[in-house]
Amino acid sequence: MKQLLFAAALLALAAVPPSFGSNYITGVVLSGLVFTVAAAALNLVYGYAGLLSFAQLGFWGIGGYCSALTVMRFGGNFWEGLLVAALVNAAIAAAVGLPTLRTGRHAFVIITLSFALLCGLVARDWVSLTRGPLGIPGLPAPSLFGFAFSTVPRFYYLVLAFAVLALGFLFALGTSRIGDTLRAIKQNEPLARSQGVSPLAYKLAAFVIGAIVTGLAGAIYVFYLKIVDPLFLDFYYMQTFLIVVIIGGAGNFWGVVLAGLVMVALPEALRFSNDLRMVIYGAILVVAMLVLPRGVAGWFADRRLAALRASLK
Amino acid sequence: MTALLEVADLAKAYRGVHAVDGVSFAVASGTITGMIGPNGSGKSTTIDCLSGFQRADRGRVSLDGHDITGLAPQKIARAGLMRTFQTVRVFDQFDLVANLMVAVEPFRRVGWHDALARSARYRAARDAAEARARELIELVGLTRLVAAPAGILSYGQKKLLALAAALMPKPRLVVLDEPVAGVNPTRINEVADILRKVNAAGATFLIVEHNVEFITGLCDHVIVLDQGKKLVEGPPAEVHSDQRVLDAYLGIDERQTSAVAEAS
Repeated sequence: MKQLLFAAALLALAAVPPSFGSNYITGVVLSGLVFTVAAAALNLVYGYAGLLSFAQLGFWGIGGYCSALTVMRFGGNFWEGLLVAALVNAAIAAAVGLPTLRTGRHAFVIITLSFALLCGLVARDWVSLTRGPLGIPGLPAPSLFGFAFSTVPRFYYLVLAFAVLALGFLFALGTSRIGDTLRAIKQNEPLARSQGVSPLAYKLAAFVIGAIVTGLAGAIYVFYLKIVDPLFLDFYYMQTFLIVVIIGGAGNFWGVVLAGLVMVALPEALRFSNDLRMVIYGAILVVAMLVLPRGVAGWFADRRLAALRASLK
Repeated sequence: MTALLEVADLAKAYRGVHAVDGVSFAVASGTITGMIGPNGSGKSTTIDCLSGFQRADRGRVSLDGHDITGLAPQKIARAGLMRTFQTVRVFDQFDLVANLMVAVEPFRRVGWHDALARSARYRAARDAAEARARELIELVGLTRLVAAPAGILSYGQKKLLALAAALMPKPRLVVLDEPVAGVNPTRINEVADILRKVNAAGATFLIVEHNVEFITGLCDHVIVLDQGKKLVEGPPAEVHSDQRVLDAYLGIDERQTSAVAEAS
């Protein structure tokens, strides 16, 4: 049943470009996939490990700039750009995470927030490298064995492949003992330690993996936008990732994936009323938070619990 | 009998208050040792120090001859000393099996790549751990609730779950902080039976408890703390009738003491 559902969803996603024949719709779904991956990475860090990290925005931007600079400035190709984005993010995440994860919950939030803001400043002010507010435009279409991902539908399949790989990896991680251990640390760290778990190692791993995946998502997305500039570090992106995780249900894999695809498509679906669409979007968010305070997954968990209580009586 | 746990001259002060002030004792291998004392006598601090949750100011703790003083709690757990908490701790959102599966020990030989790829080694370890978790849940009598998230259990049921979780890695020494506080009185004898059974299978216990009757019936050896120092230790019957113990507990003369003891 689960496999069937999964295959159907994959088929439906693969059928998006030919069936709509519209670059606009394909582009919306493409963005949805990229944001879903970034949200799933944030879910690993925040939902599973309980670390409210705003640094994800910084890693997203660093990923974008790394791949763009590798191609436009250092003569590499797109794939080398992805590798650079992953490696640089891993190194920075380890360097930032190791001291920061030792601090308390609130300090962690503040430091990661400062880190994200700092990344934005660097993008804007290190003009000799990033060209500042001008950004780096004209990113060429990536190609593989002579096949250029030069149209939106072609690029869409590149993104779909990345999304399946990244989400598959995060799923394997989240549903394994590692994901359970992270959720245990989030629920009760002293108890987890008394069971032999080293929280710092797990938190650091989640932080670094989250940074790599987010960075790769950003590194790919800038080649769809064909430009990277300081606006790529705008808080809009962080806010989108967070909304997806919270509406989906922090710590639940499928809830977040589902919310990712819906929440990114929603503002576009609301374009029938261009003036009011963000107002309606906001209203939907508020209602969703009132009705589903722990997200879609939390709602389902509550129903299951109610059924269980009834069966025990 | 050899000492499994040796504590020498342990001391810990909070802002100048000597919570534990030079306590030395040993827990012999294979025994059930009790630790009693009035509130504030330093029992919890002692446990926290020897399980690594507090850093002692002074003193030495060794487990089976290995110095574990100042190690991190997770390292002490992996060395074979498991503990429970006075204010019961469980993973509220996990069901009972998942609660027990957090223990690192059954997965000691399983790497991250095994977990990610669901290798045969990982599945074998997971299945074995799950079977053991179900056995332990059965042992503490919570099988009926096995699918429930631990958050919905009663306080006493959580204590039983915490006991099962502490037994999960087949530890050498189990330190229990008030295992029957809040447990349904009709089930206290069952808990004692469980502990005897696990003890017979080779685990050594150090039990801190306010329920003197429970300690007396269960323990081979009792240590009494008072005001951060060891007052007396010995077989339960001896300790029970020791005048110093009665004074420490009640601070009143013997006639009233026995009246209170009877009333309780």
